[in-house]
Amino acid sequence: MADVRVEGLRREFGSLVAVKDISFVFPEEAVTCLLGPSGCGKTTLLRMIAGLERPSAGAIRFGDRDVTALAPRQRDVAMVFQYPVMYRTLNVTENIELPLANDRTVTPAERRRRVEEAIDILELGDARRLHIDRLDLGARQKVAMGRAIARRAAVTLFDEPTTNVEAHAKLALIRAFKQLRKHVRQTIVYVTHDQTEAMTLADQIALMRDGRIEQCAPQPELYDQPNSEFGGWFLGNPGMNFMTVRPVGAGFVVDGVPFALAAPQTGLDDLRFGIRPEYIHIDSNRLPDSVPARVLRRAVAIGGQHLLTLDVGGSRIKAKVSSAAGPSRTAPEVGANVFIVCPIEHAILFRRGERVIEPLRRLDSST
Amino acid sequence: MSRIRFEGVSKSYRRTTALDRIDLDIEPASLTVVCGPPGCGKSVLARILIGLEAPSAGRIFFDGEDIAQTPAAERSIGYVPQSFALFPHMSVFDNIAYPMALQGVPRSDIARRVDQAAGILRIGPLLAKRPSQLSGGEKQRAAIARGLLKNANIFILDDPLVGLDFKLRESLMEDLKDMRAEIDATFLYITSDPLEALTMAERLVVLDKGRLVEAGPVDTVYYDPKWLRTIELVGFPRCNVLPGRLDITNATCATAIGRLPIALEDGATSPEAMVAIRPEDIAPPAAGVAPLGVGKVTLVENLGSESVVYVQLDEATLVTTVPARALTSLDLGDPFPLAVRPGGPRVFDRASGRRIGRVTSPSGEMRDG
Repeated sequence: MADVRVEGLRREFGSLVAVKDISFVFPEEAVTCLLGPSGCGKTTLLRMIAGLERPSAGAIRFGDRDVTALAPRQRDVAMVFQYPVMYRTLNVTENIELPLANDRTVTPAERRRRVEEAIDILELGDARRLHIDRLDLGARQKVAMGRAIARRAAVTLFDEPTTNVEAHAKLALIRAFKQLRKHVRQTIVYVTHDQTEAMTLADQIALMRDGRIEQCAPQPELYDQPNSEFGGWFLGNPGMNFMTVRPVGAGFVVDGVPFALAAPQTGLDDLRFGIRPEYIHIDSNRLPDSVPARVLRRAVAIGGQHLLTLDVGGSRIKAKVSSAAGPSRTAPEVGANVFIVCPIEHAILFRRGERVIEPLRRLDSST
Repeated sequence: MSRIRFEGVSKSYRRTTALDRIDLDIEPASLTVVCGPPGCGKSVLARILIGLEAPSAGRIFFDGEDIAQTPAAERSIGYVPQSFALFPHMSVFDNIAYPMALQGVPRSDIARRVDQAAGILRIGPLLAKRPSQLSGGEKQRAAIARGLLKNANIFILDDPLVGLDFKLRESLMEDLKDMRAEIDATFLYITSDPLEALTMAERLVVLDKGRLVEAGPVDTVYYDPKWLRTIELVGFPRCNVLPGRLDITNATCATAIGRLPIALEDGATSPEAMVAIRPEDIAPPAAGVAPLGVGKVTLVENLGSESVVYVQLDEATLVTTVPARALTSLDLGDPFPLAVRPGGPRVFDRASGRRIGRVTSPSGEMRDG
């Protein structure tokens, strides 16, 4: 086991720079998810770590070992691909065992122990003697996962392993992955474009955009404290609301936040105020610090919540209303006039898309 | 905008029945989502409306007029297909303008309308490019603009976001609603994604195996479904459905999570029932209240603002949604006490699938919020 250090890693394809001089450490024994939209460079970065893609510049180290110039099989990496790679003439047990059988440093007893452990955790006991052809795609991917984990390679890599399996099998795979993690700690880099998968599986998420890692943090921090508007928008369903601010006296106001806020020390230029839809409180009555808003649209959302689109002083924002809000499950109708409260403890200021690291304060309470 | 009426519309191919006696009214100027699993007949319904196929039986009316003899070209329908189907040799502008040019819309009018739509769909800078220079999402925006800019009374969107990634779908749904607000027409939107259906729908039509299951305003279909198949197909995450046995004298239904008190409507054909509990109707009980049972957590999916918790209780796997703020840390194997929201779960007749009542007030009342 080792950490993975990339230093100034770059990959160009003609005039396109897919990975832009990334320096980053994937910590030992942790699951790091590379998350981002298509074309952000996450798969290219993973393939360079695997040795399947040659960097244009930079170095890759597994612990103290420089692997930049090594072929994939010399690096000691295990990999799970989008489509499971299987030995078709072998059964489930043999498939998991094969890479270990070629490893002379593993005793037969240890080999059996690891294979049994993988079969046990992945709940493949009933399928252990079945030939691979008899399994569906989801179960094959489980076998591929078991084989990668049983190897105990220095680094284990996952390239969107759930993309091609149907929803039910996908859940089973995610669950199998979590089970494995409980029992076996390895250095894992896991590429996905699916935010739910990343937030569910990762010890930390490296959010990628345009060939760079924009922010890397455990899920709660990445979700609640995004470094950029991109992070606020990309995570969440729907993403964060952004509102422009207006200078007032020594501070500023935001539509939807009725009190004046203290200006950050860096000034008021190009500021936007961000708040997630679930933190906005809606009421039919005027509350302290509430502002009027009008319901433009209403839709049923995840778990029977209502997702409202609101007009607040000309800005359009989204708010989620819990289905448990009242016994009659009523959310305001389209066209209704309501009052909203945006608690500033859940808000973040951005300047030209970057987070302003300064707590938000009310102007009146600060003087 | 047209009122569309289906009367006993069926479509069969040699061995299969794709549509089975569909009776349906589509309100003028509404956005109606037709949803159902793959193979439910929703695309056949669209193809028959457009005139690409003729029904095997039944009649279709636009504003009271039978359209059987109206050729496809004269039906005044705009169509956004699943695949982009853009002309590769034309610019994005010319692709979008093409249907309007065919209709004889004046050139200056075309330019104005393309610009307006390009603004809403954020493809202004791409109008001079060729389709091959666009990403998948950009191609779909161009296809949407082309489909929606034609002069038409009816617009049909056949799974327009399928295959696009999550954030792209989210912003395209928003843009589509903005486009829809600018166009005075009847919209039919087809999808097999339950969350997309709920997000887009004003009215919802549920199809399953060629049959119409249920139709109505989206809130009614979601919160007050009359059929088991509706509650199974409409909603995200999927509804929990447990077999149950009615005890009519004592007004209870015995299930894997205990004996639940029920209020019965008419329609039970036998004691064999199904109890449907939406994920949001399951939660830990309020303080001091005994739970219905204590299950074991098998997976916690993190969606950001909410978590989906899978709980194993004896033979049943139950799915619940919990606001992320209400969860501290739940690990695989942790105990999860269960309660259900009074009045939430519905009871259905097993043989007919018809709703016959609801669960009233089980012992473990759930914590609110």
